[in-house]
Amino acid sequence: MKTQWRDGERTREVELAPLGKGRWRVRVDDAEFEVSAEVMPDGKLRLVSDGRTTVAEVTPAGTRRFVRLGTLDFVLDREASGRSRAGGTQQAGSLEAPMPGVVTKVMVVVGDEVTKGQPLVAIEAMKMEHQIRAPRAGRVKRVAASPGLMVQSGAVLVELEADS
Amino acid sequence: MFKKVLIANRGEIACRIAATLHEMGVRSVAVYSEADRGTLHTRVCDEAVLIGPAEARESYLKADAVVDAAKASGADAVHPGFGFLAENAAFAEAVEAAGLTFIGPTATQIRAMGDKREARRIADRAGVPIVPGAEGADARALVRAANAMGYPVILKAALGGGGKGMKKAANEQELAESIEGAQRVAASAFGDESVYVEKLIERPRHIEVQVLGDGQGRAVHLWERDCTLQRRHQKVVEEAPSPVLDTEQRAQITHAAVRLAEAVHYRGAGTIEFLLTRDGHFYFLEMNTRLQVEHPVTELLTGVDLVRAQVEIAATGRLPFEQHQLPRHGHAIEARLYAEDAARDFLPQVGTASRVRWPDGPFVRVDRGVESGDPVSVHYDPMLAKIIAHGPTRDAALQRLLGALDETRVHGVVTNLPFLRALLRAPETRNSSYDTEWIEREFLGEFAALMQAPAPELALAAAAIADALNGGSSRASAGSGTAPAAPPDPFAALGRWRHAGLDR
Repeated sequence: MKTQWRDGERTREVELAPLGKGRWRVRVDDAEFEVSAEVMPDGKLRLVSDGRTTVAEVTPAGTRRFVRLGTLDFVLDREASGRSRAGGTQQAGSLEAPMPGVVTKVMVVVGDEVTKGQPLVAIEAMKMEHQIRAPRAGRVKRVAASPGLMVQSGAVLVELEADS
Repeated sequence: MFKKVLIANRGEIACRIAATLHEMGVRSVAVYSEADRGTLHTRVCDEAVLIGPAEARESYLKADAVVDAAKASGADAVHPGFGFLAENAAFAEAVEAAGLTFIGPTATQIRAMGDKREARRIADRAGVPIVPGAEGADARALVRAANAMGYPVILKAALGGGGKGMKKAANEQELAESIEGAQRVAASAFGDESVYVEKLIERPRHIEVQVLGDGQGRAVHLWERDCTLQRRHQKVVEEAPSPVLDTEQRAQITHAAVRLAEAVHYRGAGTIEFLLTRDGHFYFLEMNTRLQVEHPVTELLTGVDLVRAQVEIAATGRLPFEQHQLPRHGHAIEARLYAEDAARDFLPQVGTASRVRWPDGPFVRVDRGVESGDPVSVHYDPMLAKIIAHGPTRDAALQRLLGALDETRVHGVVTNLPFLRALLRAPETRNSSYDTEWIEREFLGEFAALMQAPAPELALAAAAIADALNGGSSRASAGSGTAPAAPPDPFAALGRWRHAGLDR
C-alpha cells in the first residue's frame, strides 16, 4: 500500500506491507525497515523498530496528520495517490490566499506588469495585515479578489500569465 | 466586595480572571459571540451571555452590548481583561454611567495614556525620559515628521498597546506604503484610525514595570519584566526579573514608573514600558492601562495575584499592600503559544484543537483558552495559551519551561510550539545576549534551516500505519490533493481513535 505525504517542501512516499501480528514492512522513500506497532489503551502507538521503542501519537484533521514522536512534533499532509502537489499552482501563476481572511486591498488590475516581490493584494486576518507579493515578474492575467471579500485558505486571488 | 463581575473578554484571559473571582467567592459572568458558543471561557464562568455575531466589532468590541449584558446579568462590576475594550475610555464611562464599577483606571487616565502624545508629555513632566515621535491621521504630516527625526521609524496605532499592526519603515517610501494599512488595522482594532510614528532605537531591550495605584496619588511597583524576545514587535517570551539590569538601573526604572503612576493618580494595575538602549539608558515607551498578557511572570515572581489586587482596589479604593511587602523571589519565564505556522511565515491557523494536553508539575502554570475539541477561530487573536515556569534561578526556570513545552501537545491546529522550543534552546536565549530585533535578524534564519530537515522516517511510518489501522484512507483520497480549504471536522476523521484519544 503506497501513500504520498507532504513534509514541508518535500513530497515523501511510504509503502506499507502488513506482516501480521502487528508487524509491518515499511519503505519511506529509499529507506526500508520493519516496525511492530501496537495501539495502546490511550490511543497512542507503541512502535518498535531495530530494537528501539518509540511512542507515537497521530491525530488526523482532514488530510493532515499531527504526529508526535517522543517529544517531537511533525505535521504531515496526506496527498491523493498518484498525484503530486510539488510546486503546486504557484508556478502556473496563480496566487492563493495563504490563510482565511478578508481582502482589504487589491493593488493591481488585469494587464498590469508586475515585478517580483511587488505587493498585489492585502489580506487581514486575526488583526494582522498580510501582503501577498508577486513570486516573479509577469503580467496580471486575472484578478479574483476584491476588497471586503472573505476568502478561505487556498482561494485564488490573482493569476499571472505564464512565463514567456 | 462585589457579588458578581462580568468579564468583558474571551479566551485564556477570561478563564484566568474567572479563576480569581471564583477563589474570592465572587460570581463570574462570561460574554461570548456566536463563534464562541460553548468555548472554554463560557464553561468556566458561572453564567454566560451571548452578545453578538462572530465579528469582534459586533460583539466583544461593542460597548453597549457588553454593558447591556452586565446590567441584565445583575453584575456590579466589569473586568475588561486586555485587548478588545480594555483601553477604550468610552467603554469605561459607559460602564460607570450604568451604575457599575469598571475594574481598571479612570476613563481620563485611559484617554491620557492611550493618547501617545499626551502620555509622552505626562512622562516628560514626571521626569521620565522620552523618545522622539509624532502622531496623527494625516499621512503627509507623519511622513514630514519622520523625515525630520530620521529613519528608521516605527509605525503603530495611536490607541491601544501591544504590537498588533506595528510596522517598521526604513525610508520615506516604505512609511507612505504602510500608513494606510496601519490606519485600517487601528480603525478595526480600536475604532480610531490615528497612527503614531516614532524614531526607532535600534537593538534595544524591552523592559516594563508593573505598577498598582490607589487612584489617590499612591502607587507601588511589582518589579520589572523583560520582554525583549519579540517577533515583529509581538512579545513571544517574557521573564522577570530582567537578566540584564543591575541594582542601580532597577532602582531607577522602578522609581521612574512609580513617579509616573503617582503623577497621574493612577488607579488599578498598569504597566509602564521602557526601551533600554545598548549603553544602558532607558526611555519611556508607553503606559498600558490594563492587565498585561505577561502578568503571570510578575505573579510568580512576587506571589501577588494581580487580578485580585485589581478587584480589591476597585472595591475599596485602597492598595492591598505597601511597597516593602512586595519582595521578589527567584525567576519566572513565560512562553506564548499561538496558533500560527512558524514554518510558513507565522501564518495564523484555524481549525479545531482536537487533542490538547497541557503540562503540569511543580512551578509550572498554564493560562489556557482551549481544551481538547475547542475551535480556533479566524475572528480573534491566535494566542491559545501561556505556559509559565518559576525557579530559584533563571537557568532553573528556563529548564523547567523547556520541560513543560516538551510535555505540551496541541494536535488539530498548527502551533508555534516548535519555534518556542528551538528559541528557548538557543545559546543567545540561555545567556540573555539578545535584543528586540534578534529573532528576526538572526534566529529566524537558523530556525528556517532547522525546519528544512525532513521528518524522520519513523514519523511517516507512524502516520501511514495509523491510517492503515484506522482504515483512514477514504478521507485523504477524498481531499483530491487540493489545498485544504475550510478544515473538515476532525472528529469525522477520528474513527475508532476517538474514544481512546479523547475520553481520558
